Amino acid sequence: MIRTASLVEVAAAGTFTLYQRRLAVALKTVSGIAGTMAPPILWVLLIAPALDEAVGGFTPNIDYFTYVALAQVALIVPFTSMFSGINVIVDKEFGILREFLVAPVFRASIPLANALAVLTISAVQVALIIGLGEARGAEFDTSPSGVLWFGAAVALLSMTTYALAETLALVVGRQEAFGPLIPAIGVTPWFLAGSLFPLSVLPPVVEQISLTFPWTHALAVMRYGMMEGTESGLVDIWHMDSEPVMAALSVGVLLVMAGAAMALTLRVFNRKTMA
Amino acid sequence: MKPSENGAGTDQQSPMVAVNALRKTYPGGIEALKGISFDVWPGEILGMLGPNGAGKTTTIGILTTTIRPTGGTAVIAGHDVVKESLAVRGAIGVAFQESVLDNEFSALENLRLHARLWRVPRDEANRRITRLLAAMELSDRANDGVRTLSGGMRRRLEIARALLSNPRILFLDEPTLGLDPAVRQGIWEAIERLRTDYGVTVVLSTHYLEEAERVCDRVAIIHEGRIVALDTPNALLRSLGEEALELRVEEDPANVVSVLGRLGLNGSSPLVMGKVITIPVGEGSAGATALLDRVRDSGVEAAAMGIRRTTLNDAFLHLTGTGVNGQNGN
Repeated sequence: MIRTASLVEVAAAGTFTLYQRRLAVALKTVSGIAGTMAPPILWVLLIAPALDEAVGGFTPNIDYFTYVALAQVALIVPFTSMFSGINVIVDKEFGILREFLVAPVFRASIPLANALAVLTISAVQVALIIGLGEARGAEFDTSPSGVLWFGAAVALLSMTTYALAETLALVVGRQEAFGPLIPAIGVTPWFLAGSLFPLSVLPPVVEQISLTFPWTHALAVMRYGMMEGTESGLVDIWHMDSEPVMAALSVGVLLVMAGAAMALTLRVFNRKTMA
Repeated sequence: MKPSENGAGTDQQSPMVAVNALRKTYPGGIEALKGISFDVWPGEILGMLGPNGAGKTTTIGILTTTIRPTGGTAVIAGHDVVKESLAVRGAIGVAFQESVLDNEFSALENLRLHARLWRVPRDEANRRITRLLAAMELSDRANDGVRTLSGGMRRRLEIARALLSNPRILFLDEPTLGLDPAVRQGIWEAIERLRTDYGVTVVLSTHYLEEAERVCDRVAIIHEGRIVALDTPNALLRSLGEEALELRVEEDPANVVSVLGRLGLNGSSPLVMGKVITIPVGEGSAGATALLDRVRDSGVEAAAMGIRRTTLNDAFLHLTGTGVNGQNGN
């Protein structure tokens, strides 16, 4: 029997239980753990140094290894989000979603808990990238304010892309149809977001399109927070002088995107799970 | 509490489930429920009997707050299913038609997850889990992954899970669908124990007549979104007649029915299913044996004929014109 509890308690307890369950599913198997941890390790230890070696000299005033290490964060986080969309389909089609729908928890707790679990997994992956990157010679600015900017950008990028993934998973509904969307949505925008090269080298039309991606704003804020010096990408987005103002504007854009994406997810979740 | 033969509960009690003019029209215009009304009383086992598509699962979906009604009201344990859905979900347990277990986890982990979602304190949850696993004869499989459990074990585990929060009302959607007879028997015994051991009110949907007759205090016969009869199994059978004459004919059964009618031998109303004609023998009639003799003497040709007890399928056929498994009748 449900105990007398405030609505806040109910919301918090339900969300936390579902969050723990989602994390347990993700980390239940060795392959699940390996699949989560291998990409950031491979990127930092192999791919980033290779990219640094191959194309790192395009501009002398930045440390390209650090530049690419932060780009990896903007790749791994959305990719993890998109992959997590598969769990939504599995839960809905074969699993336990119906049990959750008749549980005395707020329905919004279900996608919210999923998003928080993905954020946690992403945080571990990001910590690996930063830790290993530092060990390999990356030069991160780990001042509190820098870390705060960086953390905000990572969290908002994760929430936005996870919400997008859950929405797509609910709309598409089948693993076979969702699978091809993972690289298409998880990776393609990343290439156009100033990840490996500055936005300014893109064709003008593509550059304008890239400004609508959360990847672009998140990556610029991450670099502003964690890279000493310039070339964060914020100037290419906002064409202003003050980097803190531009960073705040990009965080604002990310906030709006994350809020809109989560609102859309909750709406689609309700429509798809309630006949 | 077992309701009286006319289905009424005691005056002192409020119904555990009160459904009034409930309607559901799905997008696209499919009218699944056309204004059904019924009450379920504390401790009662109510069966909803009907073929696939009759509206049973939609009814359970609305009562468990996973489907929105388009009209009418439904109140569970004093809470409106639309306005107070969270409170409703806190008062119910549900075992679904399909297996709804977390396949990544063991039986025990599934139960613990449920206990946490329903906010059962940990020590109490552990006590209940131990008791329910024993009651459902699953204690020795508690730590096994649910993927390794048989269909019957999974179903018993789901019933145990649904009981873990001490629900005031338990919904079982086709609890024995697809299970072999021995397992089905075990599930029925488990359901009967729910009332004796736990005093739980149960609403179950089924299209197994034996299940409805064996387990339920009352049966609601649902056909094309309407309740066409709601009474105890015995009362439903009595309304038709306790015995029936059954003829298996070679020629067109409609012709035989016509001949029987002209001879005044068609009893209350003959039911035709394929080449089989069933004539229920109503109360006050000359009796099934006498009718059998008269039909035999009338010269009507039948490949076989005999007397049997009427079943809920006869009642269903009589009320709806179709068999409970969807086959066409007369």
